[in-house]
Amino acid sequence: MNNTFDPKNPRVRHAHQKHALNNPAVIIFNFIILIALLIGGIALLFFKESIGWTLIGFSTFPLILIFWIKNYLATVPVGKSQDFTDLISPDLLLLLNTKTTPTDLVKILPKTRSGSFFMTRLALTIPFFEQITPNLPDSTESIYNTARTIREQTKSETINGAIIAASIIQNLPNYESILSQLKLNPEDLYQVINWFNHLNGTIRDSKKPVHTGGIARDFAFGYTPTLQRFAINLSVRFSNVQKVGPAENQTIINQIINTFSQGGRQNVALVGAYGSGRSSIVQSFAETLMNADSSVPQNLKYRQIYSLDAPSLISAATNQGELEYLMIKILNEIYSAKNIILCLDNAHLFFEEGPGSVDIANLLVPVLEAGRIRIIMIMDDQKFLEISAKNSALANSLNKIIVNPSNAEETIKILMDQAPYLEHQKNVVYSYQALLEAYRLGKQYIHDVEMPGCAKLVLESASSYSDRGLVTATSVQTAIEKSYGVKVKVADTEEDRGKLLNLEELIHARMIDQVEAVSAISNALRRAGAGVKNQNRPIGTFLFLGPTGVGKTELAKTLSEVYFNGEDNIIRLDMNEFVSPNDVNRLIKDGASDPLSLTAQVMKQPFAVVLLDEIEKAHPSVLTTLLQVLDEGILRDEKNREVSFRDTIIICTSNAGANTIREKIIAGEKINDFKEAFIESLISSNEFKPEFLNRFDEICLFKPLSKEDLIGVLDLIIASTNKTLEPQKISVTLTPEAKQVLIDKGYDPKMGARPMRRIVQKTVENIVAASILSGAAQPGSTLTITENEINVS
Amino acid sequence: MAIAEMFLWWYAHGWSVFIKKLRGHLTNIIDFFSMSSLVRTLFQPFRQISAETASADSSLELKFHMFVDRLVSRIVGFFSRLILLITGTIIIVLGGIISLILIILWPIIPFAPIIGIILTIVGVTL
Repeated sequence: MNNTFDPKNPRVRHAHQKHALNNPAVIIFNFIILIALLIGGIALLFFKESIGWTLIGFSTFPLILIFWIKNYLATVPVGKSQDFTDLISPDLLLLLNTKTTPTDLVKILPKTRSGSFFMTRLALTIPFFEQITPNLPDSTESIYNTARTIREQTKSETINGAIIAASIIQNLPNYESILSQLKLNPEDLYQVINWFNHLNGTIRDSKKPVHTGGIARDFAFGYTPTLQRFAINLSVRFSNVQKVGPAENQTIINQIINTFSQGGRQNVALVGAYGSGRSSIVQSFAETLMNADSSVPQNLKYRQIYSLDAPSLISAATNQGELEYLMIKILNEIYSAKNIILCLDNAHLFFEEGPGSVDIANLLVPVLEAGRIRIIMIMDDQKFLEISAKNSALANSLNKIIVNPSNAEETIKILMDQAPYLEHQKNVVYSYQALLEAYRLGKQYIHDVEMPGCAKLVLESASSYSDRGLVTATSVQTAIEKSYGVKVKVADTEEDRGKLLNLEELIHARMIDQVEAVSAISNALRRAGAGVKNQNRPIGTFLFLGPTGVGKTELAKTLSEVYFNGEDNIIRLDMNEFVSPNDVNRLIKDGASDPLSLTAQVMKQPFAVVLLDEIEKAHPSVLTTLLQVLDEGILRDEKNREVSFRDTIIICTSNAGANTIREKIIAGEKINDFKEAFIESLISSNEFKPEFLNRFDEICLFKPLSKEDLIGVLDLIIASTNKTLEPQKISVTLTPEAKQVLIDKGYDPKMGARPMRRIVQKTVENIVAASILSGAAQPGSTLTITENEINVS
Repeated sequence: MAIAEMFLWWYAHGWSVFIKKLRGHLTNIIDFFSMSSLVRTLFQPFRQISAETASADSSLELKFHMFVDRLVSRIVGFFSRLILLITGTIIIVLGGIISLILIILWPIIPFAPIIGIILTIVGVTL
């Protein structure tokens, strides 16, 4: 096997001839000559000039040439040997020569269709290839050899630009680490080559004629005017569209064919979650039936699938009687026509009363049981269970087929197949990384739509965030962030990184002391921001223990303001309102009936701080419900929908053991010295169960505030008062003596910082109010409050 | 060189490509006229008009009435299909004959200029 380029290989000449001749200009020129010679010849013969025969004779030359170009030159088949030149794609044959170096290869890549596809889909830019050029081997031999191996592994017809590009990358020293930097792995290179081959094959297949039965196909089948008014003909719409689905889809289609081609109940219920590809299966089935070349039984060939539009049917009827009359008319037409398969999408709409739905089970069940009309029903598993519970006769009359969501590999294949259609609609190009990210983030954030529909939805929304028409992984992340209000990107801007690195400093601008808790929270956020957090858990779960007024709730609020886009992004539940077992229902209530339930609030605001205050007061059943949230970041609401807490920080606060903490600190002990024993004592005194405490990332003990700490607290309170006065351009300062008086008055080791806020309100704020009203404080002035004024007030 | 290659291909692979293309065209014509469907459903009621069958307990008059209706529908169906069947068959046969002639003429086509020159020299006119 030769791994060098042989310019004398006949395929090289063939490719050059193709390049020179197989273009519209040459074909049109030849065609004009052909017509001119023919017309000229016939005209001369008409005028009795025998030279006309010569012209007609010579007109065969352009005819032969056109036929040769279109049927021989247009394709350059692979050679019979295994020599490198016999395996190269036609466009590469034009661009290679014996002196081609690896550097030249890099320049050649974007000039080939497959090479350009490979670079675009993997977002590998020309500067990237220029950057790696110095590390390439000296000769092309090893690149060609690797290309040969990739061709075999990907079962490609030829060695094309995409394969050469992958080969160039694989010939780099430490190529796996280079790919890792691009968040790719070697398998991804092969996937993109397969993607190109698949699309190339689809384009080739689309040029083949499709036989759909001809003009007399429906002569033996009846007219269906009423059905056509209320239904969409899927067979006409999808007769030329070949859809790629998981291998399981073909099995399901075969099951449907078996059901419909044999005797018995002529119905199929496709039961699966929304987005799992149920409609695609029906579309593929429709395409199969309409294809004359497909191997379906004769009694199913050219049968057409009509999807009944429930809303238009319901809106056309003024009452139940009229609706039943219309339905009977439609069913009669279907029966008489003999070539219709009725499809009921969202079939539950026909079996329940409600807006946009109507219960006509009494009409449909006999039809289903009789089996004279072929019906396909599409419904989700929950609705199927509901219908089964309500109407067992209906459930028993259905041939149920379960449609499972596609897995990662299948979803990516489906997205690769669907991408050109989406690209045409949205006028963008999807990168391979965008497809992978759509699957990953769709799985993580979209819980009510299954794969592959879910990933497709993500790709559709990501098209609005394309970078100069290219939808990248970042576009997908932005789409998810904008749609779901979460942070999925690794901190990549200077501002984000700076914020995360200086989080402690930012929090301490609003918080005094409690260094341990602040540091634990900051570390959790840094892990999330750097993308190293466990994706299947919340960002962080913390239990804050300590006396009242030491900053437990304040820390949660500060965190919300500093990192979670404002103090409003806090979901706060007072757990002393959840003291009975029945209160579990209030936690998971559907948002429509209780917008303040925990699940409803997190659904609306998935990127937030969840603050569960006074957790020790909650009923044990409530705590048990919360175990799954702390562990997996998931809680199911009453409608069994998964609600993700994976983008929240969960903070539980408790005063349990507050006196012990205070006593130990007053006795001069350090928190770390008694923390473990203290937690053990909480378990032994049955205040918390060990399995509950074990679920937290960290249990932080808050120490009581000292008089020195209160100086800082007072400064923060005065700063807050000044912020309130800012619109009036008035500010307040306190003399050191005044501060000392306030601290002496406001210090209460049992109550922490809370009394201080009240004292400031009674003294400082009253003095300021009086000064403003009396005109003593004018805009632009600074009020200095002294010890005496405090004492008087 | 290219011209020689072109003529070599014409007599080798080109001929079979041409035959394949003609076969494809004939298949398309057969599909267009739904020949197999027409033959299979030749006696079926046209568009299922009046195709209902009377039930066992229907009156004799109704049964007869329906039988006549169906018979008419079948006759209409038979004739419309037959017309299309005959038209299709004629076109397919014509297409087949033309295809056969073209296949036979295929090796002569490159010699057409020589034949043209000979006819000119001989002085053949219309």
